[in-house]
Amino acid sequence: MDGKTVLLADDDELLASLLHFRLKKAGYSVDHVLDGKEVKEYLSHTMPDIIVSDIMMPYFSGIELINYVRKELQSKIPILIISSAGNEENVLSAFELGANDFISKPVSPSELLVRITREVNKTHI
Amino acid sequence: MSKLKTKDLLSQLSDLEASLNGFSFEELNVEEAKSLKSSFNRFKYQLNHKIFGTDETQDGIQPQRMNTSTQQVGEDKKLIAYVSHEIRTPLNGIIGFANLLREDNLNLSQEKKVDAIQSASNNLMEVINEVLEYSKLTTGLEDFEAVDFNVHGVIKDVMFLCQTLIVDKTVNLKIDIAPKVPKVLVGDPSKLSQILLNLIGNAIKFVDRGHITLSVDLKAQENDIYLLHFSVQDTGIGIPQNQLGHIFESFKQAEKDTFRRYGGSGLGLSIVKELVEKLGGRINVLSKVGVGTTFNFNIPFHKGSPSNIPQNRPKSISTAKGKELLGGTKILIFEDNELNRHLISEQLNKWDCITYVTENGSEGLQILKTKAIDIVLMDLKMPEMSGFEISKAIRALNDNEISQVPIIAFSADFTAQDQERCYESGINDFLLKPYTLNELMIKLLKRKKERNLTQASLKLLTQETISITDKGNEKIDLDKLLKECYGELDMLQELVRLFKQNIFEFIGAVKIAMTNLAFEEIYLAAHKIKAGLTLMNTNDLKRIVVSIEEHAKKSDMENVKLLFNQFLEEFPLNEALLDQELAKLKQR
Repeated sequence: MDGKTVLLADDDELLASLLHFRLKKAGYSVDHVLDGKEVKEYLSHTMPDIIVSDIMMPYFSGIELINYVRKELQSKIPILIISSAGNEENVLSAFELGANDFISKPVSPSELLVRITREVNKTHI
Repeated sequence: MSKLKTKDLLSQLSDLEASLNGFSFEELNVEEAKSLKSSFNRFKYQLNHKIFGTDETQDGIQPQRMNTSTQQVGEDKKLIAYVSHEIRTPLNGIIGFANLLREDNLNLSQEKKVDAIQSASNNLMEVINEVLEYSKLTTGLEDFEAVDFNVHGVIKDVMFLCQTLIVDKTVNLKIDIAPKVPKVLVGDPSKLSQILLNLIGNAIKFVDRGHITLSVDLKAQENDIYLLHFSVQDTGIGIPQNQLGHIFESFKQAEKDTFRRYGGSGLGLSIVKELVEKLGGRINVLSKVGVGTTFNFNIPFHKGSPSNIPQNRPKSISTAKGKELLGGTKILIFEDNELNRHLISEQLNKWDCITYVTENGSEGLQILKTKAIDIVLMDLKMPEMSGFEISKAIRALNDNEISQVPIIAFSADFTAQDQERCYESGINDFLLKPYTLNELMIKLLKRKKERNLTQASLKLLTQETISITDKGNEKIDLDKLLKECYGELDMLQELVRLFKQNIFEFIGAVKIAMTNLAFEEIYLAAHKIKAGLTLMNTNDLKRIVVSIEEHAKKSDMENVKLLFNQFLEEFPLNEALLDQELAKLKQR
C-alpha cells in the first residue's frame, strides 16, 4: 500500500489515533482531520486515495461530505462511511449519494483495514 | 341562510320547548301534530347544517321545502358510522384470537376451520372499513389535507402496491405519465392514492389476463392551477350498458352474483366518486362487456414547490441504486407461504437479484450445493422442517464455502428465545415481518459485503467479532487492545492517555451543558465518547453513557444528573484499574 493516502475524518481522537497507527503499519500514509471544515480545507489542496469519514461530524456531516466530493469536486475517489448503529436511513442516503462502503460502530479496526484495502485495490485495477 | 348563528338555533330551541310545554299530547289534533313535526324537522335540519357545515350548494334551499327523505339518509349515515365502530371492536378481537389459535398445535381439520374464520373475518373487516369510510365521507367528517407532494412518487407507490396484489394472473400493469405533468402539486396525496388504489384494485379483481393501464396527463392549466386527467383502463369482463348508470351508487355491483365471485361491499366506487368530487373533480366510466372498462377523472391541483415537501419521510432507495448494489446477487429463499414467496421474489427481482425459492429443506440444500448462492433468506415457520433445523443442516455441510453462506431469518414475531435459537442454529441476522424494502436492502447489503471479502480476511473478521461480542467479563482487559496495537506498548499507552483526556473533556463539557440546560451538547458529548469506551472495554461506564445519551435526547435533566453523578463515582475506579493493567503489561 506504499504511497496510498487515507484521509481520516473523525472527531473521535481515540479511535482515529488507533486507526492512524494501524494504517501506517499497513504502509498507508494517513492524514487525520477532526471536522467538516477541516475536510473541506484539506480537499482544496490535496486529493487522497480514499476518504474514511464518520457520518456524524461537527460543521459538515458525512452525508454532506459525500455530496461535496461527488457533486462539487466531481471526484470518484472511494468514500467509506463510519455509521452509528441504528442509523440505517443515513446509510441509505450515503449510498444514494455515492458512498462506496460503510462500517457500523463499534468499529473493528481489522475489519476497517480490510475494507479500506479492498476499496483502494478496486480503483487500482 | 348562508350562515346560521348558534344564537338563532338556541332561540328556536327555546321556542320549541315553550310550545311543547303548552299542550298535552291527549288533546293533540292532526293539524297541531303536523305543525309540531314540521317545526321540529326544520330545527333539526338547521342543527344538522350547523354541525356538519353542509356546503354552499344547499344554500337557498328553504327549510320548509326540505325533503324528509334526504334527512332520513343523513340519519342513516350517522347510524352507519356509529354501528361500524361498534362492530369493528369485537371483530378485532375475533381476528386477534384466530391468529393466536393458529399458534397452537392444530390438526389439519382444525387449521382449516381457523383459516375459514380468518378469511371470513378479514372480509367482514374490509366491508366494514369501506362502509365507515363512505359514511365519514358523505357526512363531511373526513378531513382533506392541502400539502405539497410529489405526484409522480405517489403514483409509483400506488403502482408498486398494486403490483403485489397481482398473484397468479397474467396481467400487465402499465403507467403512462405525460412529461408535462408537474412533479410537485398541492393537494391531498393520501386521498389521491386511495382513489387510484380503489380503481386499480378493482380492475385487478375483474381482470384475469390482459393489461391495466394508468395514464396521467395535464389537461389544462390556468395561472397556478393544473387540471390533471387520470384514466384507468382495463381489459376485464366489462360492465353491461344497463348497469353502467348505477355503478357509482352505494351498495351496487353490476350483477347480484358479483359479490359472491369477487367479494367487497360494493362501496369502493361510491367512495371513489365521493373523493373525486370532494377534491373538486369529476369521474365517468366507459365500458363494453368482454372488452374492458375505462374510468376517467379530472382533479384540479394548485402548483406546489419541492422545497415545501417535508423531508422527514423515510427515504426509500431507488430501484436503479438497488440494481447497482445488489444486481446479480444469488439469493435462496425458504418460504412456504405462496403470497410471501411471490412478494419477496418480486422485490428481489426488481433489484436484478437471481432468486431460487423453495419450501423444502433437502431441495434447498441441493440448490445450495449446485448454485453459488450468496445469501439465504429463511422463513422460520415452515411445515416440514423448521428454519432453525435447515440452518443447522447448512452449517453442518462439508464444503466450507457453502456452509458459511450468510443466513437471514425472517418471521412475523421474534421472542428472545427465538433469537437465542437463531444464534445456536448459525443464523446471522433477522428481519421482522412486515419489513420495509429499505430494511431488506440494508440486511442484504451488509451480508453481501461480508461475503465479498476474501476467505482470509473473513477468518480474521470472525475472530474479531467473537472477541468483541465475548462479554460477561466486566473487568478491564487491555490485552485485546494491545493486540490491536500489534503488541506495541507505546501505542497502547498513548491510547490510554487519549482516553483519559477524552473523559476529562466529556466531564467538563457535560458540567457546563448541564448548567445551561444544553441537552444537545450533552447528547453529542455522550455520543462522541461511546466508541472510546467500547475500545477500552469499560462496559459499566459505557452503559451509563448510553443512558445519559438517551435521557439527554428526551431532555430529561433529572436522570441526566443522576447518571452523570454515577459516572463521576465510577470513573475513578475504572481509571485505577486501567493504570493497574497498564503497569502489569509493562512488567511483562
